[in-house]
Amino acid sequence: MSNADVLLMAHLMRRAGFGANKGELDKLVKNGYDKTVDYMLDNDPNIPVSEYMIRRYQPDYGASLGSTTNGANWMYRMIWSDFPLREKVALFWHGIFATGYAKLANGKVLHDQIKMLLKHGLGNYQNLLVELSRDPAMIIWLDNCESHKGAINENYGRELLELFSMGTGNYTEEDIKEASRAFTGWTIANSDYMTLKCQRDSVWPYGRLSMHFEYNPDDHDEEEKTFLGETGNFNGEDIIKIICEQKATAKFISRHLYSFFVADEPPVPEWPYKEPNDPEAIEMLSKVYFDSGYNIKEMLRFLFKSDFFKSEDVWNKRVKSPVELVAGTLRLTKEFNRPSRDQYFTTLNAQYMGQWMMSPPSVEGWHWGTEWLDSGTLVERVNFSSSSLGNKDNIGVKEIINNIKSSLDSPIDSEKLVDASLEQLGALSTSENTRSILIDYADSNLDSSEEINDEEIAELLKFVGAMPEYQRS
Amino acid sequence: MTTISSKIKYKNTMGLAAMQGRGFYYPMDLAFDSSEKIYVLGRGHDGDPRGCRIVVMDMNEEYYGTFGSFGNENGQFIWPSCIAVNSKDNLFISDEATNKITVMSKEGNYISSFGEFGSGNGQFDGPNGLAFDHDDNLYVVDHRNGRVQVFDEDGKFIRKFGKPGDLSGELNLPWGITIDSKNNLYIADWGNHRIQEFSNDGDFIKSIGSYGKKDTDLIHPSDVAVDLKGNVFVTDWGNHRFKAFNQNGDLIYSTRGEATLSKWAHDFLNTNIEEKEARSKSKLVFELPGFDKDPHEESSHVEKYFWSPTSITFYKGEIIIVDSNRHRLPVYLVS
Repeated sequence: MSNADVLLMAHLMRRAGFGANKGELDKLVKNGYDKTVDYMLDNDPNIPVSEYMIRRYQPDYGASLGSTTNGANWMYRMIWSDFPLREKVALFWHGIFATGYAKLANGKVLHDQIKMLLKHGLGNYQNLLVELSRDPAMIIWLDNCESHKGAINENYGRELLELFSMGTGNYTEEDIKEASRAFTGWTIANSDYMTLKCQRDSVWPYGRLSMHFEYNPDDHDEEEKTFLGETGNFNGEDIIKIICEQKATAKFISRHLYSFFVADEPPVPEWPYKEPNDPEAIEMLSKVYFDSGYNIKEMLRFLFKSDFFKSEDVWNKRVKSPVELVAGTLRLTKEFNRPSRDQYFTTLNAQYMGQWMMSPPSVEGWHWGTEWLDSGTLVERVNFSSSSLGNKDNIGVKEIINNIKSSLDSPIDSEKLVDASLEQLGALSTSENTRSILIDYADSNLDSSEEINDEEIAELLKFVGAMPEYQRS
Repeated sequence: MTTISSKIKYKNTMGLAAMQGRGFYYPMDLAFDSSEKIYVLGRGHDGDPRGCRIVVMDMNEEYYGTFGSFGNENGQFIWPSCIAVNSKDNLFISDEATNKITVMSKEGNYISSFGEFGSGNGQFDGPNGLAFDHDDNLYVVDHRNGRVQVFDEDGKFIRKFGKPGDLSGELNLPWGITIDSKNNLYIADWGNHRIQEFSNDGDFIKSIGSYGKKDTDLIHPSDVAVDLKGNVFVTDWGNHRFKAFNQNGDLIYSTRGEATLSKWAHDFLNTNIEEKEARSKSKLVFELPGFDKDPHEESSHVEKYFWSPTSITFYKGEIIIVDSNRHRLPVYLVS
């Protein structure tokens, strides 16, 4: 097992999941890189603590009266799943199909949307767009329940083209209107009552009600439409079929996948004017999009096995989103081996860092990359990761400390201590400058004449959590 | 819905969702005092602990006020789970987060508390169901320790029985408990999907149910009640049903729920006319379009269905169920 193999696997696990500790990486490297990619893509994850268990102790995690418990439920899956690629993919789509609590005021339908993304996010993109168009949260969020035969509301038709599939510059205003006509009649059951409850944030008389899609043929525009140069009596599925056949769609989705899993692209509004950072990679991903019949899983299989993904040039370059930072840290520290009230507050931590799960700031979702960082959010990030990694009572931290101690000989050498700590935290790479700061810290805080104690190692781990490298993926 | 016995009939529903004041916010359990007042224990949720309180009412939905709140001080709760009333009308409340049993007067004054985290005598890892026997001894379901502990009225440990496991007489994260007229115990063995009956000494007598979605099955039952004839009433929490079995363990009743609007719910709608009108034009019962046949999902869509019922009480010929996720108390008549 070479160090290069471990470092590459660590990169994969940070991007395809939320990171892995040394023990996990060692096992995965033995299995091999390609097999690990295939396993993650082709198998359902194992989540050892059931939904029943969560709901018993935290009923709102299933019924969602509150605005944040739905996100906290999802966070449990992120920290408990053995291979959280599905959660990562759902997080990816959640950032694109941004739908939020501010308008819906119903955490259950938002949670249901995440479940839909978990179920279909790795499948066929055409199917995913159909499911999205039928999703009650999306129907309310973009007002398709207010779009009627003869009186269309263009919100969904516009965002379907601009934000969810092709990007601006690839269609006309007339195409938006025609797409909107095709989606008339796509609504939710009891839409007047449901939207009123959303507007009033009403939990009365008996709590939240889930919603479901309803097709109203009487309200569907049956007249001929012309969309992207094709003419026919189109319904919503026909529009999505035509969208998925477009090269612009292939490029748009490829660029999103590249930006989320490989390296930051410019913000989406700049895409019509700025070429991709790696046009060749986008071209290759676009080809897989068509060759696989719009299959997201096959696009990701290609992406994770590509040279452009494996290149050291892209390692540790992305700033972790708050959810990635929180989930990744909690997977290392194993603070929540069973449902706990405190877990709710870790989700709030992500919110304080700028990412309120299921409540993105606008239809554009969050701006990723260095925009996650400002003077306030950086303090939140450092405080969170340092306090979790530096708490020696956390089960995962205890294991890390014991592994570090058993890997070192007395008297303790500060350099070896730092290297062992970085290794245990998931083959964390640092600059020489960061490493020397950590070594200086260890030198000044360790008494080499004494046997190293848990508190001293925990203090070093706390310091690592504050390092810029820990904040990156 | 399957109804086998005509001797059990839906009567009415009490309650309303409300973060504070008159209504419930994730009610978990209830208990009656000697004057037939009902004390409904609420949990609230992690993002809004205002529901963490005790609401006092009666079977006519007369509201008498609330007491108790979220917190770590005496008379406060973090994750309150179950409530019971002794012969002196004192309230005993279990808290599975603080691992304490709190004793309060029926007026809401703090009296005392006992318990701490651990697995020794008098210690708890998640105290849940509470019941008093005929001698006013308190039985506490110590759920993560897989056992029942017995205390006198002063909170002094007397004895214990049960151990974690799935064999007869063993317990897997048990929840609710009740004591019948013969002083026998019935425990909702949540993790083993069954109800177990024990003698007062803790000897295993019999078991009802096993995992499954059929009417005769159970998934994670939360609570159990018994009438004078030995009929066993169960909140089948994971199947989101109320079920009844005769003393031989044969199913006699099973329902998905048929809750209607309570007095308090009518009051709400009568003062919120716009919602009342929109609601009246809605079709709240419909063909269920899939949901992978997951009863939790189905219940989230159909308001009249039970949604995570956590507690069941037999009281003077009536069954009162705590329908937790719907913040209400459906009532059934037993003849």
